[in-house]
Amino acid sequence: MARDHEGHADDPPVYLLGALSELECQAFERHLMGCSTCREELDHLRPAADALPRSVSPVRPSESLKRALMEVVEHEAAERPDPSRPRPRVAAAGMRRRLRALAPSLTTRGPAVAWVSAAFLLAVGLAFGAAGASVLSRDDGRTVTAQVDSVRVPEASGSLTVSSDQRRGAILRVQGMPSLPSREVYQVWVRRNGEMVSQSIFSVGEDGGGAAAVPDDLEGADSVAVTREPSGGARAPSGKPVVTVAL
Amino acid sequence: MTLAQEGDPRAFETLYDRHSGAAFSLAYRMVGNRVAAEDISQEAFLSIWRSRLRYRSDRGSVRTWVLGIVHHRAIDALRRNLVHERRRTDAEGLAERQEAPELTDVEVVRRDEALQVRSAIETLPSEQSRVVELAYFGGFTHSQIADMLETPIGTVKGRMRLGLEKLRRELVGQVA
Repeated sequence: MARDHEGHADDPPVYLLGALSELECQAFERHLMGCSTCREELDHLRPAADALPRSVSPVRPSESLKRALMEVVEHEAAERPDPSRPRPRVAAAGMRRRLRALAPSLTTRGPAVAWVSAAFLLAVGLAFGAAGASVLSRDDGRTVTAQVDSVRVPEASGSLTVSSDQRRGAILRVQGMPSLPSREVYQVWVRRNGEMVSQSIFSVGEDGGGAAAVPDDLEGADSVAVTREPSGGARAPSGKPVVTVAL
Repeated sequence: MTLAQEGDPRAFETLYDRHSGAAFSLAYRMVGNRVAAEDISQEAFLSIWRSRLRYRSDRGSVRTWVLGIVHHRAIDALRRNLVHERRRTDAEGLAERQEAPELTDVEVVRRDEALQVRSAIETLPSEQSRVVELAYFGGFTHSQIADMLETPIGTVKGRMRLGLEKLRRELVGQVA
């Protein structure tokens, strides 16, 4: 029994039920390393806690969930088979049918085509007075450069690739973003008529790169924005965007 | 699982097929919303794929490992997302109403298993089952539960211990 056992004697069942706060949980896990009494109690009660999720009635997830997940898994398996290596992360949530519809077209364009189109559409963008954003049109969509918060994400840059059919949504790509603690995520929003609608959440790899789906129809939308939110996302932005793409 | 740990997408797909129903059902039971439950499930399975080398068979079954990750993700979402207010009133009813209409053989086994565990939970005194459910499925901390029930924290913790202890005995009795 550890010397500090008395302070944690009631914690094993609370820990098993997930009812300790984050700080309490960390403290208890440190205590556990040196307390065989608590470890034994955890082992004793664990079968009961492990049974709880089995009391839930079966509800089937949608097929689109599996398709979206496997698309990411196959992409990552092909790109970097070694899971210990860092990599940019594709959006973990909110990746829906429109992302799948859009993704193949985004990966097939060559850099030369992009460069020529970029030069042409930069002129178009300036002609329309698109201050702060360069617009790069391509045969099946356009790419809009993001504006970043130069104080909070000074190294960041990003772009939004919008499908030629705006109803199919867009993909946001970022580079140079700060990595977040495990309990935070970046969340993508579409602003329309002053209302912010959540699109997806994502993390960035150790290189600060990441991508996220914007599945909503962008017709009539004012902008796409990224905020920093707690893990799991928020119902409304909790702060100012760190990245904004004006549409 | 070994092939999935080696990075074989097809093996991971098999793992997903085996456990996604239970994972999604748990997330749905906790957040009471299909979109949020799918987001949690997707995040959890991506996390499982990316951390697949961390699984150790001597620490429990794959299913227990998967459900543990889903549970933690759902608790994170609940505590950060302030969804407690809306979901408690309709979560259980929704989950029951949207149960898969034509159950597969695996789902039939799962449903029977669920009935067994629920019957064991129902043997607990109500004050014990309440704190267990508020904690495990509600994502509330012991201090939040104490506030909610206007009960001392020590009493809440004691009920959790007694509840799990009795549930364990009931489940062992079912197996025996």
